[in-house]
Amino acid sequence: MGFTEYLAAREFASNTGQPVITYIFVLALLQCIFAILFLRKKGDRYYEYLIKCLYVGTGLYILGFMVIILFHIQIYNTVLIEYPAGLQLPVESSRFAVPLWIESEKLYFWAMVASVFALTVKGRKELLSFLGIILSVFSSLVFFFSNPFKDPLPIVNGEITRWYAALAGNDNIYQVAGTLYGRITYYYNATYMWAHPPLLFIAYASLIITFAACVYMLMSHERVYDEIAYRYAKPGYILLTAGMLIGYPWALEAWKDSAWWWDPKISGSIMMWVLYSAYLHARIYVDRGKLWRTTALLGILCFVSLVFTYLLTYIVPGIHSVVQP
Amino acid sequence: MKPKNYDYYLIVLTTIILFAIGIVCVYGITYYNYLSAVPGWTETTLYLQFIDNMNSYLYPFLVFLLISLGLCIPKRLFEQDILIKISALSLAATVILSFLLGMETAMDILLAVIAGIQGIVLIMTFNRNRAVRFEKEGYLVRMGSSMLHLGIVVLIFNFVTLRESQFHILIFWAGTLFVTAGNIFSFYPERMNFLFKR
Repeated sequence: MGFTEYLAAREFASNTGQPVITYIFVLALLQCIFAILFLRKKGDRYYEYLIKCLYVGTGLYILGFMVIILFHIQIYNTVLIEYPAGLQLPVESSRFAVPLWIESEKLYFWAMVASVFALTVKGRKELLSFLGIILSVFSSLVFFFSNPFKDPLPIVNGEITRWYAALAGNDNIYQVAGTLYGRITYYYNATYMWAHPPLLFIAYASLIITFAACVYMLMSHERVYDEIAYRYAKPGYILLTAGMLIGYPWALEAWKDSAWWWDPKISGSIMMWVLYSAYLHARIYVDRGKLWRTTALLGILCFVSLVFTYLLTYIVPGIHSVVQP
Repeated sequence: MKPKNYDYYLIVLTTIILFAIGIVCVYGITYYNYLSAVPGWTETTLYLQFIDNMNSYLYPFLVFLLISLGLCIPKRLFEQDILIKISALSLAATVILSFLLGMETAMDILLAVIAGIQGIVLIMTFNRNRAVRFEKEGYLVRMGSSMLHLGIVVLIFNFVTLRESQFHILIFWAGTLFVTAGNIFSFYPERMNFLFKR
């Protein structure tokens, strides 16, 4: 097992996953068309097609996710980092236990969970059609900007390639091994990475439905949409709170020498959390006067803050970010 | 003001305070981004100054939030007129202590007092004490609400006051447990009923 096997696994993931995500994209376009047709013409036929697209699309998302899981298992099995004895590290070797929601895979995971949640929305065809449009846009964004199969895990790949280059004598092995040890211990193989990000992405997926229901609440003034929004805000808020808090002890350990207090992503997450807290507070008196309107607007604002917080990684420098000052 | 309205205005007030904290966070993001134009600024005293500034912007709203949470807590124990006096007294005491001992010390004292009261309310609620009044019916909703409020106060107390304590992480997990369990009990009381059947 070694670099050649790793490269073969990567190629297999790309070759198998690319058709899957292309079908997801095509289905997303059809889903969008059927959703718009249903909302305009109210034909049940379009709604049935829409539901079929949603089910098949979700199935394809899960299939693609299985390809991702397989690829990650293969990375673990094929790549072994044996540290030079001179580095005096606490371990002699490491393998990559790469989480399933990093780099370009995180948006894919979020979209997949959102598709699963959309299938659980019952009773309101208009809302599900609106969700169908949102999910189509989401799938298109995944396809064009965060396709996990186009160039699978580019950063991990770069690190693995550098390791094997160092082994072949083309790079300083001590430097490469030292950097990799930190990355593997505090990032890839950190236990928190299996709890903090997925909890947040599952929360985000649930909160998409809250957002859609709040929009419909404003449009239709029907109380049932508020109830749907609340139904999905509850698990969303619990997971959001738990997911955010679980990141804290890890941050203390992994970033003890770094500047992370008031980091933009953390500020953004707090902002999002207080806004969702405000939404849930305001909702207690949703029946009073025009408070339902405020509540629905708050629900929409919360989702805007969620998207903003997600994008902060890409637009503002910080310890969570990929951009440099 | 009718007694029924009191809870409504408290909710509106809490919503506004939470919203204001959100705005402070947005300011923090913009401020951080602005300072990032200076190369390596997080390695300099500029970063410490930034942290101090942001904390000083946040603390007044945290005080308001704590008082509003604090009102939420004793409202279950006292009559409305006593509550208004307690809230006015808390605010006045915090302002005076801020001038005398500094904002952080005033916050520490306020947090310790509120965490204490909250803990008492949770114990009383757990024991089904009739002196504790709630807007909402149901033992688990009450337990959840009490745990949630206590958890938030404990977490803020831990972040503001106990960051250097050897028990920091332990208290953090206790606060997290209270918040998470409080949320679950408040949101899904009927599903959690099996835990407290008597």
